[in-house]
Amino acid sequence: MAEVPLPEPFQSLEPFRDWALATERERRAKRLSSSMEEIQAFYDALFPQLEAVVAYLDRFPLDQLPEEAQPLYHLTLSLVEVTSAVELYHHPHIFEAIEPARFRRVE
Amino acid sequence: MQTATENRRWSKEYPELGTGPVPAESCISPEYFELERERVFRRTWLNVGRVDDIPNAGDFFVRELAVCKTSILVIRGKDGVIRGFHNVCSHRSNKLVWEERGTCRGALACHFHSWGYNAQGQLTGVPDEENFHDIDKSKLGLTPVTTDIWEGFIFVHLGAQPQETLTDYLGGVAEQFKGAAFHKRTRTHTYKVEENANWKVALDAQNEAYHLPFQHRYSFPGMFVLKDNRYLRLSGVKLYNHHAVWSTTYNSESTPTPTGALMNQLNTATTNSRLPMLGDFDFFVIFPNFVILQFRGIEDDYYMTYNFWPLAVDRCIWEIKFHFPPAETAGQRLSQEYLKHRICDVLQEDAVAHETLQAGLTSRAKTHLILQDDEIQIRQFHKVLEDYMGFFNGRGH
Repeated sequence: MAEVPLPEPFQSLEPFRDWALATERERRAKRLSSSMEEIQAFYDALFPQLEAVVAYLDRFPLDQLPEEAQPLYHLTLSLVEVTSAVELYHHPHIFEAIEPARFRRVE
Repeated sequence: MQTATENRRWSKEYPELGTGPVPAESCISPEYFELERERVFRRTWLNVGRVDDIPNAGDFFVRELAVCKTSILVIRGKDGVIRGFHNVCSHRSNKLVWEERGTCRGALACHFHSWGYNAQGQLTGVPDEENFHDIDKSKLGLTPVTTDIWEGFIFVHLGAQPQETLTDYLGGVAEQFKGAAFHKRTRTHTYKVEENANWKVALDAQNEAYHLPFQHRYSFPGMFVLKDNRYLRLSGVKLYNHHAVWSTTYNSESTPTPTGALMNQLNTATTNSRLPMLGDFDFFVIFPNFVILQFRGIEDDYYMTYNFWPLAVDRCIWEIKFHFPPAETAGQRLSQEYLKHRICDVLQEDAVAHETLQAGLTSRAKTHLILQDDEIQIRQFHKVLEDYMGFFNGRGH
């Protein structure tokens, strides 16, 4: 299945395309099933560009993001998903927390 | 920044609550729990949702109120009026609606014999009606449940005759929130955690700020340790007839994480309507099981709600909802996702404590809770509970 490439200025993020996930459930599962090295590599690739990515996405209303901007938007949501793993815990999991599956997103 | 330096100030303000230990038996006794069903949950107004959950005629949601051993259908009629009903068919008492939410287009049909009801709860269709003996459909609508709305929050009352109107029941809380623009914020995220904890153990554990610098030392290092207020003493406490609010300030000097710093710079969604806040963070407990949490944001405020739904003496569901100003851009949405993510880390830590607390209480190694002055709202909650239960087993004097 051919994917729309990421917008020109952000094509360096193509190797991290598997983090472009549309739902919180998928993003959480991706964090929990990734090694800290994988998480760190994704963070290191995206974080320095985050401001530029948001500036790019903010040119459009959220409900009218063009097709090529969608995966980019999902990547930023994944960055938020891993932010505390990288910046606080240095581990994919939260310490002293209930099993992630029990904290259910229902809507 | 205002800080609380005076020791034991709240007990001076509310001396009638006493200062002694509070008995913990109410959190582990199966007999007590059985009585709570009648004496607390059928005598109080219970929040079950918001009007924006069912914006259009025919929209409905179903609430399983295990503690009252019933299922409630809340539905917006063709006339726009929101009504609550027991979710029970008039024919032979089958559970009528099985979905958690949906829209009634025409009729809600019972799965058993297809008796049909409209969005106003009236019985409209009975298959093979001619073969029944003198039935009057106009008298066989769904059984109504007392339902009322306050600032967009839908409440039900399962008692035969509520002793107070919803507004009277809310008392000073209703005044505090008069005209609050809750409706301008949208419910963005809802979570449910089924916990092995008594509903009060879960609620009590959330109902104070004392634990924040300690239990959340990994998820929010430094955030809750203020230079001139190192134990995060409360900036305000207000105790109402049945309800309570307490407030804190934040540490605005604490160094944000790299992502946090970036998020602080993003343009955030605003409603141009601040919430009526007492501190930087307000925690309103509306007895028995509903909480409204208000957060001061940089450009606008947001709020969350909790509902603690008892399942058994040692089991409950903690329901968590986030409400943010509607996001119009990806950046606005992202900053909300970030706040939500950080808060959810904290809540996942909290949830584990609810269960370790329950385990400790169940061991009966200790019989009482020892509460400090900044936990006075927990003391008050247990006093209100005892007043409803009709017991006096020593509040401590």
